[in-house]
Order: sequence, then C-alpha cells, then structure tokens
Amino acid sequence: MVLALEVYLGAGALVTAVFLLWGIGRRDPQARGSFAFRPLLIPGVVILWPLVLVAWARPARAHHRPPLRLQEGLALVLAVAIPVVLVTGLLVRQQGPLERPAVLLAPADADMEGATR
Amino acid sequence: MSLRHTPVQWNRTKLVYDAVLAVAVVGFIVVFLRLAPEFADTTRPVDGAIQRMRAFGVCAFLMLTLILCIGPLARLDRRFLPLLYNRRHLGVMTCLVALTHAVYVLNWYFAFSPTPKLTALVTANTAYGQLLGFPFEAFGIFALVVLVILAATSHDFWLAFLSAPVWKTLHLLIYPAYAAVVAHIALGYLQDATNPAFALVAGGGGLVVAGLHVAALMTDRARHRSNTAAATAASDTDWVDVGPPEAIPDGRARIVRLDGDERVAVFRDGNRLAAVSNACAHQNGPLGEGRIIDGCITCPWHGFQYRLEDGRSPPPFIETIPTYRLRLADRRVQVHRTANPPGTPEEPLTWTA
Repeated sequence: MVLALEVYLGAGALVTAVFLLWGIGRRDPQARGSFAFRPLLIPGVVILWPLVLVAWARPARAHHRPPLRLQEGLALVLAVAIPVVLVTGLLVRQQGPLERPAVLLAPADADMEGATR
Repeated sequence: MSLRHTPVQWNRTKLVYDAVLAVAVVGFIVVFLRLAPEFADTTRPVDGAIQRMRAFGVCAFLMLTLILCIGPLARLDRRFLPLLYNRRHLGVMTCLVALTHAVYVLNWYFAFSPTPKLTALVTANTAYGQLLGFPFEAFGIFALVVLVILAATSHDFWLAFLSAPVWKTLHLLIYPAYAAVVAHIALGYLQDATNPAFALVAGGGGLVVAGLHVAALMTDRARHRSNTAAATAASDTDWVDVGPPEAIPDGRARIVRLDGDERVAVFRDGNRLAAVSNACAHQNGPLGEGRIIDGCITCPWHGFQYRLEDGRSPPPFIETIPTYRLRLADRRVQVHRTANPPGTPEEPLTWTA
C-alpha cells in the first residue's frame, strides 16, 4: 500500500511539473504570464492528478449549473447523521446509559469463579 | 475580478478578516491550555502534549462548525454575508489547525513505534467489526484528507479549470467530512471523557449545524415555491412565467427555478428587464440575491459584476455568464428555458407601467 501511494504521488509530481510549466498557460488565459500563483496549485495537482488530466484534455467550457440538489440532499443527510452519530457514541460508552452497573461478586461466588479457571 | 491569476487578491477586508481569525485561533489555544487543566480529572492527569493535541483538535472542530454554519446563516439573514466573503481562508486555516492536531497525535502516541508512524496509526487498531472500540482514527484521517484536498483546490483557478459542477461536487465532501469529525469525537474522546463540557460543545455544535441547514433548506424552498408553482401553471414547453414586471423590486431580481439545478435571475433596472444565470462565474454565488450597482448586476458574495445586456463583466475583465431571452405575455414576464452561451448579447426587455 505504501509502495502504491509512492507510485501515485510520483506520477502526480511528474504531471504537476508538466502541467504547471507548460500546460496551464495553454489551458487558462488568466494563467498566461502569471507564475506567482502556480506553487499554490502544487498540492492539488499532486493529489488530484487523474482529475487534472481529464479536465486538461476536455475543451474549456463555462458552466453555470452547480449541483444544488446534491447539496440539499447532503445537507439533509448530514442533519440526520449528526444526532444519530452523537447519540450512538454516548450509548456505547462504557459508562453510558446502556452500561449495566458493576456488581460485586459475593466471596463464595468469587472463589467459585476462581476455581473454575 | 481579475485579468490574471494571483496568489491571493488581498484587500483591506481580507486582511482584517484574516487578522481577526488568526487572533481568535491563537486566543482560543492559549485560553484552552490555561483553563483545561483546571477542569481535568485529577485522578487521570494528562501530559502537556495531549493538552495541546486536544486544544488544536477542539479548535479545528469549532472552526469547521463555523464554516458549515456560515452558508445557511447567510441564506437566512443577509447580515451574515460578510462572514462568507473570505470563507476559503477560514477553510485553509482550519486545515492547518487540523494538521497540527494530527502531528501532535503522531508525535506523541506513536513516538517510539518500531514501524513508521503513519503505518502505526492505521494498523494500531483494526477492530472495524465492532462499535465499541471502533478505530475512530479512521474518521479523523478521512476528514483530514478531505480538508487538505479542499484547501489545495481553493484557488479561483480550480473552479474555472474543473468547472462549477465538478469543483462544487468536490467541495461538497465537506459534509461527509464533518459527519466523520463528529464520529471521530463521538467514538473517540467522548468514550473516555468524564467532564461533560466537551460533550455539550460537540453535541451543541453538531446540532446547530444540522438545525441551520434544515432551516435554510426550508426557507429556500418556501421562497421558491411560489415562483415554481406559478412557472408550472403558466408555462408552455419553452417559456416559463416569472410574474408581472412590477413585482420585481427595482434594482433587484426575482429568482426562477428551471429544470434540475438551473436557476435564472430576472433583474429589473427601471423599466428594463434582463435575465441571467443565477450562478456567478467566480464562485457560483447567488447573483439573484445581489443588486444592480453602477448599471451592473453585482454578486452579493464578492462583488463580481456583469452587464445586463450581455452577461459580461465590464472591460477589462473577462468573466461571462449565460443570458436568457425574455418576453411579455398578458403583462407578465416570461423567460425562455434554454440558456444562451455565456456572454451572448440579449437586448433587455423594456416595459411601461
């Protein structure tokens, strides 16, 4: 897994070098002749290089349809998930409401339990 | 607006925003480290490194909570819009605070690990099949990876490069990341905590985020319900009813929801009417909630401007948004369902009262 991660990030470094030194100016008019902002893009390109290659290969288009319905759906799921997760976390606590109180064993029971071991 | 990408488009507002943010973060950490030992369980004293780890962790959680509250708050009440202005810097700073928390975790709990620290972190507990003792670190790692990705793609370049649908979908990962942070806390620190203070903070923060999102969603739906109902009732296949022109406040817009995710902002400037996409080309801010300033449609989020006539930013700027055709039928405004390509000239509709 570590090797796979290293290969992935190595490929990312290669794509980053080519994209930031050569490709970006051809793809984005606002990037032509502008170099100071490019180092800020390095982490993003290294991590998301497959997505960068796809976007690079695709013709530039203007988009005006943000995924509003997806956002609404995720917000609703989050609103339900938060209380569920919090309550679950409190319920499974060892000192939580579902934890049965500890009971001291009577000396005889304790001896018997020790004898069976 | 800009002609060329720059690292950060600094202005006085952003400097003040960031300064306040930095002071608040440092102040919180200092106060936490000063007060936390006084509320700690004296029978189980914790090391200073653990206190610092907790301080940065709690700080990151509160910052993330604030980030998620800003969006719905701004939709519920415009007075919160200034908080939204520089939200991405808040996000980047949250990522740095969360990374500091993670570094403390690695350098304390895995300081003497025979295996590399990251390997030890993901292999120390693999009891994924049970709820009690679940490896809560996995939730924290997921949230941290998301925060890093979002911070790394926060520059304006990324939205233009990836396109709004892809960039926005990527940044919607903040929702599962927040749920993961809540799970990280609930199955981690809350399992062991004896002081209810942090449980109340975590629970309260999480429930505020959940409540605000539901409230904003309901308000948004109620706001658009009348428009959508009217549009459905009075629309043929190509044209959608917007309502009488005098119902649109002068200098403002009425937002009409079309099919799917598409929304149109129909602006009125005196007796002129023009329709453009409701999504700003900069960061998809809701243009229809903005107003007309100096004859240009002005985004309420960052002040990006567009001409009514063609959806283009005034020269020398180059941003463009789609325009839509308008017509009057029985003294009611109708908008065509199909958007023109961004920046297409469309003569504003004139009407007389």
